[in-house]
Amino acid sequence: MSAATDERALRSRAADFDWQSRMLPSRLLGAQSTTRGLVTYGVLFVVVVLLAALPFMIDTATMAIATRVLIFALLGIGWNVMSGFGGMFSFGHAAYFGIGAYTTAACVVHFGISPWIALVIGMALAVVAALVISWLAFRYRLAGAYYALSTFAFAEVLMLVAEGNDWLHRTDGIGLPVAPGESWWMFNFKLNSPNYYWIAVAFVGVALAVSISFTRARTGRFVVSVRDDEAAAAAAGINPLRYKLTAVAVSAAITAAAGMLYMEYYGFVDPTTAFNSSVSNNAIITAVVGGVGTIWGPLIGAIVTAPLTDLINGFLRNPPAGLEFLHGHSGLDLVVYAAILIVFVLFLPRGIYGSITHWIQRKRRK
Amino acid sequence: MKKSVTALALGTAVIATIALAGCSGAAAAGGGTAAKSGTKVDKVVIGSLHPETGSSAADGQAMDNGAQMAVDAINKAGGIKSLGGAKLELDKGDTKGTPDVASTEANREISDGAVALIGTYASGVSTTISALAEKAQVPFVMDISAADSILQQGYKYSFRVQPSATAIGTQGADAVAAIAAKNGVKLSKVGYLYDQGAGETSLEVAFAKEAKAKGFTVDTAIKYDSMSLTDATTQIAQIKAAGDTTLIVSGYYADSLAIAKSIAASGIKLDAVFGVGDGAYDQQTFLTDAPNGGEGYYNTNYAIAKSAEGQQFATDYQAKFNTPVRTGAALAYDAVQVIAAGLEDSGSADPVKLRDAIAAEKSYTGIAFGSGPIAFSSTGENTSARTVATQILGGKVTVVYPDDQATGTAKFPAF
Amino acid sequence: MTMTQLDERLGETSVLPAARRRLHELLGQRFVRTIGVTVIVIAVVAIIAGLVSHSPDVVWQAIITGLLNGGVYSLIAMGLTLAYGVLHIINFANGSMLTLGLYLAYVAVHDWGMQPYVALLFVIPAMMAFGALTQKFLLNPVMNGASHNQLLVTIGLAVGLENLILLIAGPNPVSVTLPHGGSFSLFGATVDLGRLYAFVGAIAMVVLLSLILQKTPVGTAVRAVAANPVGASLVGVNIKNIYVLTFAIGGAAIGAAATLIAPFQSITPTTGDVFNLTAFVVVVLGGMGNVAGALVGGFVVGLTEQLAGIIFPEQSPLLSVFVVFLIVLFIRPRGVFGRAS
Repeated sequence: MSAATDERALRSRAADFDWQSRMLPSRLLGAQSTTRGLVTYGVLFVVVVLLAALPFMIDTATMAIATRVLIFALLGIGWNVMSGFGGMFSFGHAAYFGIGAYTTAACVVHFGISPWIALVIGMALAVVAALVISWLAFRYRLAGAYYALSTFAFAEVLMLVAEGNDWLHRTDGIGLPVAPGESWWMFNFKLNSPNYYWIAVAFVGVALAVSISFTRARTGRFVVSVRDDEAAAAAAGINPLRYKLTAVAVSAAITAAAGMLYMEYYGFVDPTTAFNSSVSNNAIITAVVGGVGTIWGPLIGAIVTAPLTDLINGFLRNPPAGLEFLHGHSGLDLVVYAAILIVFVLFLPRGIYGSITHWIQRKRRK
Repeated sequence: MKKSVTALALGTAVIATIALAGCSGAAAAGGGTAAKSGTKVDKVVIGSLHPETGSSAADGQAMDNGAQMAVDAINKAGGIKSLGGAKLELDKGDTKGTPDVASTEANREISDGAVALIGTYASGVSTTISALAEKAQVPFVMDISAADSILQQGYKYSFRVQPSATAIGTQGADAVAAIAAKNGVKLSKVGYLYDQGAGETSLEVAFAKEAKAKGFTVDTAIKYDSMSLTDATTQIAQIKAAGDTTLIVSGYYADSLAIAKSIAASGIKLDAVFGVGDGAYDQQTFLTDAPNGGEGYYNTNYAIAKSAEGQQFATDYQAKFNTPVRTGAALAYDAVQVIAAGLEDSGSADPVKLRDAIAAEKSYTGIAFGSGPIAFSSTGENTSARTVATQILGGKVTVVYPDDQATGTAKFPAF
Repeated sequence: MTMTQLDERLGETSVLPAARRRLHELLGQRFVRTIGVTVIVIAVVAIIAGLVSHSPDVVWQAIITGLLNGGVYSLIAMGLTLAYGVLHIINFANGSMLTLGLYLAYVAVHDWGMQPYVALLFVIPAMMAFGALTQKFLLNPVMNGASHNQLLVTIGLAVGLENLILLIAGPNPVSVTLPHGGSFSLFGATVDLGRLYAFVGAIAMVVLLSLILQKTPVGTAVRAVAANPVGASLVGVNIKNIYVLTFAIGGAAIGAAATLIAPFQSITPTTGDVFNLTAFVVVVLGGMGNVAGALVGGFVVGLTEQLAGIIFPEQSPLLSVFVVFLIVLFIRPRGVFGRAS
């Protein structure tokens, strides 16, 4: 089948789940001039330095939360590349997360291979899986909600396959044994070593740099233009399939890295942890609360949403005078968390970062 | 340009917020850490990690309640005497059933001064926490977590109060054989329905192995997915076609109940249905939910002991929380008590010394049934942990095996 | 475009036989072929299951159980398919709303002493109101936004509802007993009465929903909004009100489903999760927005689950369900029967 028929089919079907056409115009996304680019990288540098300085200011329990925030951020950044910039709504990012986590687990436990090599293998496997599922989906002209649910089903299939696979220890899951000593090569440090956190910062920094360069490079701009108007992009000689698949591949690779980080930090993975829809939901929540289709949105979204239940629980554990009756109700934290999520969406529909930039744009125009 | 500057400002703001939150957290934690150093302490914190929300919330909350009752009982009796009457305090954490939340909570509890951890109901979560405890050098006493693999890593800081999955499966086969023999039934084969989950699979493997040693076989073993099983008529038809008249079941509450309903609906003639480590057939709610009150159903599992302490606990629990006790609560109670005994013996709230004391502990006899005082093997298994067989007789969950725990006589054929 | 013209255009693609002309279209080549292929595939699978299990009794029971369970699945998916078809929302809170309905049914039966099926009179309006309020205050404000925002609201709703129920009702399982329940044997296969009633309820609901959508002015407006929101607003339809109405009908459908399955389902705050995944599959198989398709989709899922359990005893039956789902998605990207409205 020629690319042209593919495009027509995709376009006609995109209409029934047209969620991106109402999104931010693409000019908001990428800076065109080199100076602006340098400023963006400069900001990234400062953000990374600030994040890296955090362990000197906080206690170990907060650092554990901060590390989880960064893993969530990585998930969100990965999702955002494909679904924010690329406009292909993924409802199954748990698939790539799980592949990253399981590859690491299997490599370390079964073969004693360094997690860093496992990271590369895991990313490669996730990319292959993402390309296969997306190519099939685009080949068979799935778009919108149908595409979203096909990614969802794919993650479920991987979960059920892992549950029935002896080599992956079925529903037992795989735990990393605690090894004595510290080793960068084997990604093994003392509990509460800031190294775990710093590696997570480095991962997020690299992922953000990749997103920035992706949106600035020709590839990324083409991806965005395909998202915004596929027919126009195709008329301008852009091959939509190629650029869509590129976005999918980058996205899957970043998400697999999040899975590897999870595995190494928490030391355990089972089919539910890896492939459950809550993982996919977390990727979406992070990006949407921060701002879909923006560079900084997922990081901000992760910083706001990931520690939310911890903060609420901290509050409920020692409630201020007059609110003691709130103490000791299991589930209250999640009710509040859900309410806050909904309030965010209702009042900041563009996400935190998206709403702020939108507000600034409007002020400047006045 | 402006946009990036905004990002910078925003980024700085959020990072500053986290740092501030962290500082205040650290300040609040200051009080607890003193417990580790001196001999004169006012309070000792034990961190609990249970699923208070999600699909295991019923057990998780019951276990929190059980642990709290142990803490209250110890404090009422004067606290830890060797520490000058120090009071115990339970720091409850909701794991939400996931390793990452559990791990974050465990970190928080330890940095808030917890000297020992208990938990976590889910074997996967316990795998994560046992590794964390090993690194943190804080003792971790598992109340419920059946997977054998958790204690096969050579960890020094992990202990388990309940019998392992292999032990439950093995003792289950022993109980089935003994009960059948006592009633003069020659058992040659049984059918087995079990959830595909890790724990249930290990139960089936251990049961089948022991069954062979006892002279009968698992004839038809059918695996199902508790995530989707709401009706078991097809599985029962398979058992019927195979001609098995004794059925073994290992599952969670909802699916085990569905199996019981399908058995009643299909009118299959069975001699007995045995739960092995099953989540329904010894629960009070099963009596009201099951067809015919679940009359005749067996379960082999850990259970609250017949001892005065055990029965008192069940009564107190019912009075305090206005709901029938779950066995998990008793195991959480025992986990706290073992830690308290360790604190008493070591005379120190230092987690490393506490670990050694718990490992050498043999002064506390659990309210969950065991062969004697709780004592741990070198791998951390409770050597006294035992299961009992219960049967629902006359609308009551009655212990029928072993004989010294029995409060009634097993009926076999049961229906 | 006038309302009548709109109605006629919509009628062309509708599925239920509202008139002979439509019936003719309905039994057109494609429909017959699809049904034919589906039946043949299921028959082949059933024969394989028979060969694997060596027992016709087991396969016969699997088919009956599969059909009965399929009825339950389609019942639960009805509200979901309606929400998607008209509002283009993936309602992740479908399962939690089912749980809410189950607890309402429990309260009606256990605390107020209603007969389990009389409880429909309370649960349906209550869930209808819940649906209307949810749409009006939580979803309507984001209807013009990106669809990830709508999804996030439903995710938030799912988490919030589940834990609110946990807070209020506690974690212990509860159940509703049917006073005159029981079962009978159909050529050797067990048929549970409660499930049979739910099965009949599913078919009744398809007919009822189709009648509402096809025969009433309200239904016409709903279909108009689903097919062409801009056009519908041009002819004077208040779109936001139609959205509220649609979600209210969806809520009512979930309420009915909850009451009908309550007599044979153990109820906990997370019960809805079990059905959430299968409901998505049912909806896509049947064609999103296609009420009658959801019924067939439910049967396909129910039968796949039962027969696959026999053929692949080592794997979770859900695996086969999702594999079938992906295959159908690739062969028929619009679901087996396409979209209705």
